[in-house]
Amino acid sequence: MLTIKHFSKCYKGGKKAVDDLNLVIEPGDIYGFIGHNGAGKTTTIRAVVGVLDFEEGDIEIDGISIKRDPVACKAITAYIPDNPDLYEHLTGIQYLNFIGDLFSVSKADRESLIKKYGDDFQITANFGDLISSYSHGMKQKLAIISALIHRPKLLVLDEPFVGLDPKAAHMLKTIMADLCSNGSAIFFSTHVLDVAEKLCNKIAIIKAGKLITHGKTEEVKGDNSLEDVFLELIRS
Amino acid sequence: MINIWRLTKIQLLSSFGLNKALHTHDVKERRRLLLLSIVILISVVMVGVVSFGYSFMMALTFEQIGRMDLLLAIMMAVASVIGFFTTIYKASGVLFSFKDYDLVMSLPIKTSHVVASRVLQLYVLNLFFTLMVMLPAGVVYAIKVNPGVFYYLMYLTTLLFIPLIPIIAATIIGSLISWISSRFKGSQVISLILTFAVILAVMFGSFRMNGSVQVLSDMGTQLADMIFKLYPLTSIYVDAVCSYQMGSFLLFIVISVLAFMLFTMVLGTRFKTIYTGITTSHANSKYQMKPLEAASPFFALYRKELRRYISSSLYVLNTSIGMILLLAMSISLLFISSEKLGQLVEIPQLSTYLSKLAPLVVSMFVTLSCTTSSSISLEGKNLWILKSSPVPKQTILLSKIAVNLTVTIPILMVSYVLLMISLRTGWIESLLLLAIPMIYACYSAMMGVLVNLKFPNLEWTSEVTAIKQSASVIVAMLIGFISLVIPFAFVLLLSHVNGNLILLGIGLIMIAVCSVIFRYIRTKGEQLFQTL
Repeated sequence: MLTIKHFSKCYKGGKKAVDDLNLVIEPGDIYGFIGHNGAGKTTTIRAVVGVLDFEEGDIEIDGISIKRDPVACKAITAYIPDNPDLYEHLTGIQYLNFIGDLFSVSKADRESLIKKYGDDFQITANFGDLISSYSHGMKQKLAIISALIHRPKLLVLDEPFVGLDPKAAHMLKTIMADLCSNGSAIFFSTHVLDVAEKLCNKIAIIKAGKLITHGKTEEVKGDNSLEDVFLELIRS
Repeated sequence: MINIWRLTKIQLLSSFGLNKALHTHDVKERRRLLLLSIVILISVVMVGVVSFGYSFMMALTFEQIGRMDLLLAIMMAVASVIGFFTTIYKASGVLFSFKDYDLVMSLPIKTSHVVASRVLQLYVLNLFFTLMVMLPAGVVYAIKVNPGVFYYLMYLTTLLFIPLIPIIAATIIGSLISWISSRFKGSQVISLILTFAVILAVMFGSFRMNGSVQVLSDMGTQLADMIFKLYPLTSIYVDAVCSYQMGSFLLFIVISVLAFMLFTMVLGTRFKTIYTGITTSHANSKYQMKPLEAASPFFALYRKELRRYISSSLYVLNTSIGMILLLAMSISLLFISSEKLGQLVEIPQLSTYLSKLAPLVVSMFVTLSCTTSSSISLEGKNLWILKSSPVPKQTILLSKIAVNLTVTIPILMVSYVLLMISLRTGWIESLLLLAIPMIYACYSAMMGVLVNLKFPNLEWTSEVTAIKQSASVIVAMLIGFISLVIPFAFVLLLSHVNGNLILLGIGLIMIAVCSVIFRYIRTKGEQLFQTL
């Protein structure tokens, strides 16, 4: 579903944020992307979803290069950034309808999915209010719903559990599992290692822009906890 | 006091991309900023030259009647009026709509000091206008009067205090408007209506005052009386600078500084209440799912962009004032002659311009209404939404252009019909009166997008920075100005050639320019947008 081939990103001034990254995420995978602050997680995620331009390497989504046909790639991808900066001058329902229009979601699909996820996250009653009146967690929920209403083949999330209450976090985990059982793939970064350990079937650990290890969660952590493995790898 | 300076410095660094200019290592970026500095310098020189010429022409008349002090009095009043008008609609934005409010207010700094830093930001911007008006006037006065050393001392010192009172007056009105609007559900619309009402009322009032003005040469005392009565600080200022009265000098400074201190202290006590009122959205949390309307990506983007436009009173005021003035002029011309209107608005050549150059005069108002030059900057931290959407970037850019045309075209059409009636244009003139402003509307909207792509400012904390203090807005304004000055000059210089023929030529050239920009946006726009 997602293939990252020799991806490197150099920022102005010559510093390499990501160096020769290779990853393959298959349909049905919940792939955790772990690393310390500034390791290159967000840079990679932003390049995957076509927000960040890059020169070295290539990224393919469902066999299509994001460089060659970004619109086709974006049509099957959903992205939730770490900070849900949404259009505050729109109401929740206006925003969701706007996203529905951009992703050409049919009227019936968008109505039923907005209702379903709105009720799941207990936010339907707030859809008529301006986003500027939402709390951080409510914005996060709205961003998640907007990502789900176009049934993405690839869901990319940057620190998705920050700001969510325990119930919403549980709901998101359930939805992620459902999506993957239906053949979608999920690639997400997190600092919450417990969540990654329980939720992900595969994990990649990145340090200073370089991939240190990756593979099935059980293989990466062995008999230790993911936290122990991560701390050991980061130290060495 | 040091905290006021620290806060002011941080805000000013984010204006005009100053901080970027100081810290970037990117050669391309540096080259672009150098180009921008040159553009700004050219603009400053151009405005300075015009201002000097204006002062010099007035000085010739005042010299004849032996009232050179009137030059400084008038120019000080002009600087104050400019300060007042440019502050009134951005005061609320600068004072209350900054995204780092939580951060700033949680710092161990007095609220009055936060207010003072915000007012000082307005002050620094207005000081620029004051210097542009007062420096040339001061030089002309010095040339003509050859005053003593006291003049320079008092003139230069008072320069720094001239913007304070107008800013405070405008900020009081701006804050009042914000406070009243915050009590209603549609606070932005109420704020917009109130601000428009105040601006139009002040304009109307000043025109009525001017109505009694006779020929400049025999009204020296009357004019002085009128200015001194309208703005008493002018009288104190003239006594200080022209007559070297130490008492007036000190009084002028004390009044300005005291007003500033008093204002910041009083507003400091109500600051949090007003901020909370303005920023708290009305939420009823009773929404029930209704059928939704599906639209094409372009229409969805257009609707989103239009909602963004209407949601900001500052954005609307800053970009629609040209069209409002055009409409006001078109309606006025139905009832009064262009000669009389020219006298009222103090543009004596208005009648000549309208008879020969009506399409270009109308186009001038259109180019003042460029919404696109800040439309990409205004995406700010929301840009990820558009960048991650499966929509060709040219569709996004075209939706921004469409909103600009929505602002200009309808008023343009109404004004066209009104002007056709009042100016009694022939069929060729009517065609040009419609076509040329239309072409300029398209040109201005597309050029604004292009300039904003080249000079984006996405890291603003207050939308005032994007709408009024960003490089793209200044560059687009200058390009718009140059694009009109050149055709104006052609028509005036080639007075022996048929004016309609020249206008037709200008129209064809502008169509060619538009098609080049359009093709550039289609081909390079995607790439430029992606690098944002």
